[in-house]
Amino acid sequence: MRMRLPLIILKYLGKRVLFLLITLIVAVYLTILVANAGGLIDNILRAQIKYDIVSSLARSPVWSELTEEEQKRIIDERFQIAIQAKGLDKPFIERTFIYLIDALTLRLGRALFITSASGSKNVNDIIFERLPQTVLLFTTGTILYSLIGLILGLYMTKHPGGLFDRVFSVFAIVTQVIPPWFFGILFIMVFAYYLRITPFGGMVSTPPPKDPLGYALDVAYHMALPLFTWIFSLFGAWAYIARNLMVQIAEEDFVVAAKAKGLPENILMRRYVLRPSLPPVVTIISLSLISSWQGAIITETVFNWPGLGTLFLQAIGSLDAPVVIGLTVIYAYLLVATVLILDLIYSILDPRIRARG
Amino acid sequence: MKVPREIEEIANAILRSKVGIAGLTILVVMVALSIIALIYVPFNVAKEWNNPLFWQRNPRLALPSWVNIFLGRKLPETIVIANESIRKYSYYLETTGLKYNMLEAKFSYDYQDFPSELRLMLYVNAERVLVDIKWIQPTNGVEITLWKGFLQSGSNPIYISTSNEVYNYIVDSLKRLNLSSSRVMRPEIILFTDINLSHTNPMPVNGIYMLKIASISSNITDDIDAELIIYGKVYGLAGTDSKRRDLFTGLVWGAPIALSFGLIAALTTSFLQTIIGSLSAWYGGLIDEVIQRITDVYMILPFLPILITISIVYKIDIWTLLFIVVGLSVFGGSTKTARSMTLQIMAEQYIEAAISYGASRKRILFLYILPRLLPYTIANMVLSVPSYVFLEAALSVLGLGDPMMPTWGKIISDAYSGGAVEHGLWWWILLPSALIILTAISFAFIGLALDKIVNPRLRER
Repeated sequence: MRMRLPLIILKYLGKRVLFLLITLIVAVYLTILVANAGGLIDNILRAQIKYDIVSSLARSPVWSELTEEEQKRIIDERFQIAIQAKGLDKPFIERTFIYLIDALTLRLGRALFITSASGSKNVNDIIFERLPQTVLLFTTGTILYSLIGLILGLYMTKHPGGLFDRVFSVFAIVTQVIPPWFFGILFIMVFAYYLRITPFGGMVSTPPPKDPLGYALDVAYHMALPLFTWIFSLFGAWAYIARNLMVQIAEEDFVVAAKAKGLPENILMRRYVLRPSLPPVVTIISLSLISSWQGAIITETVFNWPGLGTLFLQAIGSLDAPVVIGLTVIYAYLLVATVLILDLIYSILDPRIRARG
Repeated sequence: MKVPREIEEIANAILRSKVGIAGLTILVVMVALSIIALIYVPFNVAKEWNNPLFWQRNPRLALPSWVNIFLGRKLPETIVIANESIRKYSYYLETTGLKYNMLEAKFSYDYQDFPSELRLMLYVNAERVLVDIKWIQPTNGVEITLWKGFLQSGSNPIYISTSNEVYNYIVDSLKRLNLSSSRVMRPEIILFTDINLSHTNPMPVNGIYMLKIASISSNITDDIDAELIIYGKVYGLAGTDSKRRDLFTGLVWGAPIALSFGLIAALTTSFLQTIIGSLSAWYGGLIDEVIQRITDVYMILPFLPILITISIVYKIDIWTLLFIVVGLSVFGGSTKTARSMTLQIMAEQYIEAAISYGASRKRILFLYILPRLLPYTIANMVLSVPSYVFLEAALSVLGLGDPMMPTWGKIISDAYSGGAVEHGLWWWILLPSALIILTAISFAFIGLALDKIVNPRLRER
């Protein structure tokens, strides 16, 4: 029995890895199809290349002396070379598979239109230049609201049905249905326009302060409102979920028995209620941390925050397929890796999953 | 007809809780608003919303009229003087062969603030008409010349507030009255203040004002008509936006759009997801495997970016958007939940009994299993309505909404890009926001009431 256990876990994990990989491949492929608008962007690119060639040739003084046939031949020649250089000569479907392999091996290539602030057209550079800003705002925010929510959830579990519990449930459900960007617009109006205590948006003042301390303080000043918005709009719903999870466990027989035994409230809450509710709590927190990495397209747009969300929107807006695909692929990999790690932890910790194998 | 037990249970859950009743009340008001919108808005809003000519008689960025109650002073409404309120005298002098037309537009002004803008439209039917326009103030009958010159046949707008020519005429008149002030003031302020006093803080003079228009032309049939618009600072129940559009019309019209978009999207996605999840569990085997794997793929797909890409590439209207949203949400979280709930139900004895007396698999699924999932599905649907209403608003804020329809999201996005936040044009952004939030809250409250039947264990200890 002792020998077979790891084998079952391995078999289970092997199956999960296989399914997750297939899922990842299909999802990335679909994203490639959509980001290229089913080949539409190729046509735009071809037309643009042709236009560039014709207009650059027409500027040369000898151009008009050539016969029409010669002109046509030269244009065609250059067009073919340019198209081959961009890899546009193969049919679209064939190229989607080349994109797929490139994407899966994380060779993200070069952006079509977007450049990084340092002037690079490399998709990796572009993404990693924006990543710290997003992590700074959204990952900080997610950690904070998870902690606040968990503590509030625990408090409500102690007194379910109390006044605070009832009032907070209403608050939680109201903030849950209203998205963060919407609070963002309202808060900018209140705090930036009427109270004038925060800036309207952006990450640093122009020009940015020179010394590092001043710079950090300036970023903190700009970050305060979006961070507050993010936490305000999400902690309620999360506290409500945590509360529901824990109230369910607090009704279980073993908790009632422990209470009947006369265990102190603190130990009861910590060992008998919090601990068994940890698996789903950890799952939810780690998944929200991963998705915080993605930033928030609309919230960043509203606050004019230069993170991955605004990059995503910029890339979609300029139909820059490589950047869109790059962002999706990295996110999908992180998501799949997280799910897999969580699976691994649970399969070791939870005997029920082992049994299903 | 017997009401199914599940429906009765849902109705009871909503009506027995305070939040449920509150939510339902708001929703009923919203639905009433939608019905009023569909019946009483007298024109095709979708067609006229982006037509600037339709709104040209409204003031720009006017506050809602009801702010007068709170301000303690009366802000001006828009005054339109045309047709019968203008007195006309005409005579033809045969000796000189000239036709004289005199128009006198009298109006009373009784507000504690200046108008936002003045515009005069002159309609003439002759080729060359000499026109002289004078403004007469109530105090001492001060006469100010606004404009003099020849007009062409057709309609001639005279933008009193913005035209440089008019401004120069006004300054000249003041000089002739020895009243030239060193300070630069907007024409609508000069015309409505007591120009004998040099105010640092000008106040409008109340009383009867008169606009005199004299025209001279050469033909006996020559005629002239005028329309004076004194744009106010308040308008209607919800004010106007920067394109002079009546926001109340837009907001009322947005209600049925928001409700139907949210409800249709929520209804189809949650029912489809539940049915597919249930199918997956009930038929099992290969079907189960395929459905579950597709759901996994769907849950990884970046929903919003894909939607944004499609909107950018294909410039879709709101109903196509709805279709795509539903298509992108056929599989999802509820598919998984419905599957596990079905697995639980399948283990119950009445299903076993149904199988043993030979009920068909389809019958068991649709008549014995799915009804049990109904409360969950409905609660899920109710709670997801707001997210679809906000989704439409989000796409509008990104500039990807329906280009023609006035939706709440579109109005918020117009306000946002029109600088409403930076300039404190609160009514433009807060009124549509309030409506969206009210709608969202009504569904959230109903959802909260339903939560207790979905998760019976959540009932307080």
